[in-house]
Amino acid sequence: MNRFLLLTAALLCGCSTVLETGDTLERAITPPDGVNYAVTRPEGGFRLDVSDGRFASKVELLAVRKSRTRGGFTQVQFDLRNTSFLRQTANFGFEWIDAAGSVTEGQSGWSPTPLEPGQITTVTATALRSDSAECRLRILAR
Amino acid sequence: MNMNKSLLLGLTAFVVGCETPATYKDPEGRELVVSIGKVDIQDFANAGNAMLQEMVKSPAFDSAGASPVIQVGQITNDTATNFDLSLLLSKITGPLVNAGRIRLIDSDPVASAARASTPGAAVPLPQYVLKGKILEDRANAGRTKQSSFVFQLALVEVKTSLQVWQKEKIVTKQGTTNAVGF
Repeated sequence: MNRFLLLTAALLCGCSTVLETGDTLERAITPPDGVNYAVTRPEGGFRLDVSDGRFASKVELLAVRKSRTRGGFTQVQFDLRNTSFLRQTANFGFEWIDAAGSVTEGQSGWSPTPLEPGQITTVTATALRSDSAECRLRILAR
Repeated sequence: MNMNKSLLLGLTAFVVGCETPATYKDPEGRELVVSIGKVDIQDFANAGNAMLQEMVKSPAFDSAGASPVIQVGQITNDTATNFDLSLLLSKITGPLVNAGRIRLIDSDPVASAARASTPGAAVPLPQYVLKGKILEDRANAGRTKQSSFVFQLALVEVKTSLQVWQKEKIVTKQGTTNAVGF
C-alpha cells in the first residue's frame, strides 16, 4: 500500500514542472508570451508593436539606426537593453519589407540572446536584396 | 486486494495521461526539442543565420562585386554526431543564391555530363571558396551536462589564397536532460 503511494508521489513529481526562479514563476502565472515587433519607417525612426507588455517593461529598445552598405543594401541596427534586475533571454528574428509593404526576405527561426541585467546588445540585420527597404524585428521572451 | 487493484488502475490511467501524443510543430518555432548531446535542427538555423548575416555585412563580401562566383570547399564535421552538412550550408548559400547575391558552382554529376556534351559550355572559375569546420566541446558538473558546438566558416579569395572573411559561432546548451522548447 505504502509502495503504491510512494510510486504515485514519484509519478506526480515526474510530471510536474520545477519552478526555479521568480521570473519562471511569473511566467507560469501570466498568459503565454506574445511576439513584440519594432519596425523601421521610411521617414526615419521606428514603430513599436508590443504584445507582451511584461517583457517590454524589462527590455528597452534604445535606438534604431538605418544605413546602407557600400554595395547599396539596407542595414539596420537595433540597440536593446535589459533594464530589469534579472537575466533575460530575448529571441530575435526579422523580416525585410519593400517600399510597397511586401515581405521580401527574412531570417527564419529565432536567435536566442541572453541579456544580463543592464546589458546592451545590438542586433544587426543586413538585407540581401536591393528592394528590401524596411526591417521588422521580432522579439520574443524566453 | 480490491484497494490495490483500484490503485493500480489509477496509476495506469495516470501514466497514460502523462504521455504526449505526436503533433506537428513549426520547424522554425519555439517548441522544438533541445538536445544537450547533439546539434538540433534549430542550431543549424541559428548558426547559419548568424554566419550569413556576418558574411554579408563584411567589407570583403560587400565589395566583391555583383554576384561573385563561389564554390563550396572542404567543410569538416569533427563532432561525435554524423549529420549532413547541407543542413548548415543551405542556410547560408540558399538565401544568397535566391537573392542573386552569389553564383554558386554546383558539381552535380548529371549537370557535368550534360555540360560535357554541350559545345562551348564552360564552368566559370570560382572567385571565392567557402570552407569550414564544426567542432564540439563537452563538460559537466555533477548532473549538469554542457555541450558546445563550434561552427567555423571562412571565405578564401582564390586569386590570392587569402582569407577575406571568417566567423566562429558557438552554440552552447546546458542541462540535466533534453527538453522541449525555449
